Amino acid sequence: MPSPPSTRQPLRESDTNDGRTLIDDLLAEQRQLTAVEQFSRAHDAHEVHGRRYRDLLPANAPAPGQQYAFEVDLDQCSGCKACVTACHSLNGLDDDETWRSVGALHSANVRQPLKQIVTTACHHCVDPGCLTGCPVLAYDKDPVTGIVRHLDDQCIGCQYCVMKCPYEVPQYSKTRGIVRKCDMCSSRLAVGEAPACVQACPNEAIRITVVDQAKVRGKYRRLKSEGRNPKSESNPKADNQNSPFGFRNSFGLRASDFGFHNSFLPDSPNPAITLPTTRYVSKRALPGDLEAADAHELRRAKPHPPLTLMLVLTQLGAGLALMDALTGGAARMLAAVALAASALGVVAGTLHLGQPLKAWRSFLGWRKSWLSRELIAFGAFVGVLGSHLAIGRPLSAGLAALTGLLAVACSAMVYADTRRPFWNAPMTFGKFLGTTLLLGGAGSLLLSALATNPLLPRPLVVAVIVLGTIFKLAVENRIFRFLVDEQDPHLTALNKTALLLNGLFGRLSRGRVACALAGGVVLPALMLVTGAGVALPALALTLCVAGELIERHLFFVAEVAPKMPGGRGV
Amino acid sequence: MKTTGATTRRAAVVADPAAAPTQRQRAAADPTDPAALQSNSLLRQWSGPLSSDLTLHPGDFGLGRIPARLRPDATTRSICGFCSTGCSLDVHLQSGVAVNLTPTVDYPVNLGMACPKGWEALTCLAAPDRATQPLLRNPDTGKLEPTDWDEAMQVFTLKFKALMDQHGPESVAFLSTGQICTEEMALLGALWKFGMGALHGDSNTRQCMATSHVAYKQSFGFDAPPYTYADFEESDTLVFIGSNLCIAHPILWQRVLRNKKNPALIVIDPRKTETAMNATQHVALRPKSDLTLLYGLANLLVQGGWIDRAFIERSTTGFAEFAEFVRQFTPDKVAAETGLTVGELSRVAETIAKGKAVSFWWTMGVNQSHESTRTAQAVINLALMTGNIGRPGTGANSITGQCNAMGSRLFANASGLLGGRDFLNAEHRAEVSRALHIAPESIPAKNSLAYDQIMQGIAEGRIKGLWVIATNTAHSWIDSARACGALDKLEFLVVQDMFTTTDTAKRAHLILPAAGWGEKEGTFINSERRFGHIKKVSRAPGQALSDFNIFRLVAEYWGCAGMFSQWTSPQAVFQILKRLSAGRPCDITGIEDYRHLDASGGIQWPLAKERESVISEPVTSEREMATGSATDSLNTGALITDHSPRERRLFADGKFFTPDGRAKFLFDPPRPVAEPVDSEYPFVLLTGRGTSAQWHTNTRTGKSAVLRTLYPANPYVEIHPKDAARLRIEPNTTVAVISRRGRVECAAVVTPIVQPGQVFIPMHYDLTNQLTRAEFDPHSRQPSYKHCAVRIEPTRNGSNK
Repeated sequence: MPSPPSTRQPLRESDTNDGRTLIDDLLAEQRQLTAVEQFSRAHDAHEVHGRRYRDLLPANAPAPGQQYAFEVDLDQCSGCKACVTACHSLNGLDDDETWRSVGALHSANVRQPLKQIVTTACHHCVDPGCLTGCPVLAYDKDPVTGIVRHLDDQCIGCQYCVMKCPYEVPQYSKTRGIVRKCDMCSSRLAVGEAPACVQACPNEAIRITVVDQAKVRGKYRRLKSEGRNPKSESNPKADNQNSPFGFRNSFGLRASDFGFHNSFLPDSPNPAITLPTTRYVSKRALPGDLEAADAHELRRAKPHPPLTLMLVLTQLGAGLALMDALTGGAARMLAAVALAASALGVVAGTLHLGQPLKAWRSFLGWRKSWLSRELIAFGAFVGVLGSHLAIGRPLSAGLAALTGLLAVACSAMVYADTRRPFWNAPMTFGKFLGTTLLLGGAGSLLLSALATNPLLPRPLVVAVIVLGTIFKLAVENRIFRFLVDEQDPHLTALNKTALLLNGLFGRLSRGRVACALAGGVVLPALMLVTGAGVALPALALTLCVAGELIERHLFFVAEVAPKMPGGRGV
Repeated sequence: MKTTGATTRRAAVVADPAAAPTQRQRAAADPTDPAALQSNSLLRQWSGPLSSDLTLHPGDFGLGRIPARLRPDATTRSICGFCSTGCSLDVHLQSGVAVNLTPTVDYPVNLGMACPKGWEALTCLAAPDRATQPLLRNPDTGKLEPTDWDEAMQVFTLKFKALMDQHGPESVAFLSTGQICTEEMALLGALWKFGMGALHGDSNTRQCMATSHVAYKQSFGFDAPPYTYADFEESDTLVFIGSNLCIAHPILWQRVLRNKKNPALIVIDPRKTETAMNATQHVALRPKSDLTLLYGLANLLVQGGWIDRAFIERSTTGFAEFAEFVRQFTPDKVAAETGLTVGELSRVAETIAKGKAVSFWWTMGVNQSHESTRTAQAVINLALMTGNIGRPGTGANSITGQCNAMGSRLFANASGLLGGRDFLNAEHRAEVSRALHIAPESIPAKNSLAYDQIMQGIAEGRIKGLWVIATNTAHSWIDSARACGALDKLEFLVVQDMFTTTDTAKRAHLILPAAGWGEKEGTFINSERRFGHIKKVSRAPGQALSDFNIFRLVAEYWGCAGMFSQWTSPQAVFQILKRLSAGRPCDITGIEDYRHLDASGGIQWPLAKERESVISEPVTSEREMATGSATDSLNTGALITDHSPRERRLFADGKFFTPDGRAKFLFDPPRPVAEPVDSEYPFVLLTGRGTSAQWHTNTRTGKSAVLRTLYPANPYVEIHPKDAARLRIEPNTTVAVISRRGRVECAAVVTPIVQPGQVFIPMHYDLTNQLTRAEFDPHSRQPSYKHCAVRIEPTRNGSNK
């Protein structure tokens, strides 16, 4: 640290005329904004910036079966990213909100290095995932233009569209409590103005075209059956078409998996999922080994504590209802706790919403949205369970259990329907039903201990818990088949999830297994030998719940979503 | 037709506040608004408060539709304050205050476009770490504490006067910038040297443009980049040397892509940059073998007879010696030293030879080198020997870095006397003393030390007081650990900046809060010599003052305000600059005032009042012919108004600014770099720009949340896959980069964009210059940022978790 100036002098009286100093004058002058006064001119011949972008808009409106689409000329894009900032400024977005982004594809070919810049926004898909997932119909695909618009005032901030979109398009704003997204500047297009990004591209790389929806459908639907990688059969590295269980699952896997064969764009999400309309065109022959510049980044995903809590509590509720049904509906206590846990779970879930007061509309999307169906199913479950508490018949218990299981199945479908690899149906159903069994068993064990006479035979319950735990751990462990050497040139989404669970989340993963083994195997087995008491079942349940909470937290944070190519230094 | 200026104004709304709701109502019923077509029901809210936040309404002023809350009541133009491209931005005003901006559509530079930095130019003004009041370091606590301007100015004058009294006028120095207005630079330079009686002062333009300045001055007789941006579109062959135009000057790259002649594009760069990827020929030479390559090309051109003898005879001197000199650069020798093949060399030479309009463009790859001046002159030599100068689509063209580096080169009064003059020239001093009405003795007959010599003087204790204006020495100066060590030795460090948080400001004894771009007025000069006007469209926070007014305040407190009684405003100083330019190659006496600049879409120098002194040629491109904007008023001798050609280039008549009117062939044998790679430090470290969203040390671009989404938050090093495999470095893991100066850690990006044996780190991260080696070009004293030896090691905690 250098030595500071030695002295502080008394203030000098400045020479002034009327007590004003030069400092006062200069500070006053700094407040004046002189641009308008000095440089005003009549509001004249200032026509809209039309000259340059006339060729970048379609001559005619879409005919039936057609829609507007972005077309990006990859050869013209130099990676300046003006499109991102122009969209931000001309649409008045929030400080860090961007509806367009720019990434890059790299070729690792040593002889012919290539960095292909890719600009991307909403693809205004033919079959938009956001729209089909929205529980309140806050999305509208315009019947004429095909533009997928978001109704900001309808949105409840559930962010399910964020999960459903393979392209990271809808952006959630915590302060606003809603998502927002690109609407292709539809109101500009309506009056013949170009969208902000089209206006701002110095190289005219982005244009609006009209595309046939049937052609898009035909082009990409084929990928469902064809996107098979010949070398994938035994090698989990390239095993992109196979789910962790070996079921052929043509969706949801990152299209890095399709590599260059992805006719939408190399190393980008599988277009068969939502049928994106954006066309990426290039006159150059792009090399076959293009990889997203961020293909090696391991990013943790956003945690969702309310959803974690909701899933575990509702599954505890469904599990207890199932146990209650096994008693023939004789155990009121089980049903009562099941109701309490489920209701609490649903309440916890509403904490996830940005606009909970508008959530009453969530039934609207039931025709397409699994989230809508999940909410209806849990509503029904709570209702049936409440009625069963009043009636107390075996039939009503059975009905309650069935509704509970259906609701859990809907929960699983909410995630499976996103077609994200880590949330594939077999694994998600396995986890959710496993949790239901395991926690139902552990909960009823404690409640039995509290009750005056045992509600269920202890060996049966212990068996349910132990088998449930082992089943669950086996299901969860499948992901580690995808653990590979990080240096390997291509990482699939499942490879990355496995790497995250093993690396960044290694302690949590091990803690989760320890909880499950202690609470779900060791303690229950001990109880068979020593008899129960209250302390042991309470400890077992606590450990099981903790284990399930960790598992469900990891379910969210270790999930690697498909995305458009991004990357550093592009 | 002359307009009254360039602020467009919506008279009705300002005059009648009641009009606003009416317009809102009109907008709500707008049939073109898709939201308005659907009405709300109990179950579906098609519109409402959240939707209307984004609903677009006609913005007028040619803006098209924009969100209602951003609708301006007037617009005005201002030149962007980042790079030297000099884009014009239409600033949207509400009650005189900037709320948004868009690129100006009919400005000849940017044609309605801007890069992300330009689009976000207003954002940093609202940053929370703006300097809002003077801060003085308390000797007891060691902390910076708020004070007022009076005390700040008293301490300033007291400390500097004490140092100068005790240790002489050479014990203090300033380091300024290419980011402030020409008028501000001139006032600072005049105040420091003529008013305060100090001598040493330099600018961060030393880090970017000193080489071009010296190279042009020696070769052409004046620092005169000859081109106009239209040349990008007029060339049939473009040669880029050490320039990543795509990323560093994206709006100029637009002009290359608009070239309709299907031009050959030769890119000479060790890296496969974005620009190189678009090249028809990428010449991936070994780092710092460029001088050898250029001499080799000259030799091939001579041997092939591909030279313009008539032009050489008429307009140059020294060609015979040069031709003799380059004979030793045989293709085999050059191929061996550059790592290229003889075939590649011949192909480049043939392409240049075949071109009818060949332009040569260079940037920092040339300028930031240990032998940069001769390298720049080797580029100039190629243009001269092939007669590729003074015609459309030709030229030896240095693309400038900072928004007003060109202003600094002419008027900063630091390394050269005002108006591109020489302190050592008695006649020049006399001219300035007459123009400024000051005593000739006030003008020092001695040159200032250069930036590196000032830093050396500080390190050695000879310079004890330093005034840093709008630059970030602690981050940007080469071998930054040593630079920071020197700064920490200073007895008095004053930092005048917009922000209190720069690496340099944190070391200051006194921080003077400065207004930024958009909060003050003045002119910038862009790469193609175009004067542009910047306007005051936003209020500076707290007590921050424009740099101009801070200099006035210093003059007042120093007691030399009398000398600057005419320097009352930037506008007044512009008139002084006109006087200083009279009769010089950069004569701007034909520009009336700011309004004239504003109405003309900027004006390139020279523009003399008398036609005889104008050395320029109007551009007669096909495009301009078609648009009818190429009206040549110069040849009619009319007073230049906004009818003047909007794009002009120099040297059409083959006459240069040297005493004999001829350009010089200048050359020296190439020298080896001071720190070649060896077994201990086997990699060459290259540095440069990362993305178009970052500017220099990121003090401004880092303030925009949008820009932050457009570049990597953390530093990284690019390394070739072969090297990575050999060193067992996995993609995206943390590695250590070690030079003889320092050791830093950053993420590895494994990419064949760099060649084996080379690594690249962008300059925007403060760790980069902890590695670089302080080596300088002997003529321009520009630092050689683009070559030092390093080694790479995986770190134990390598994987990126």
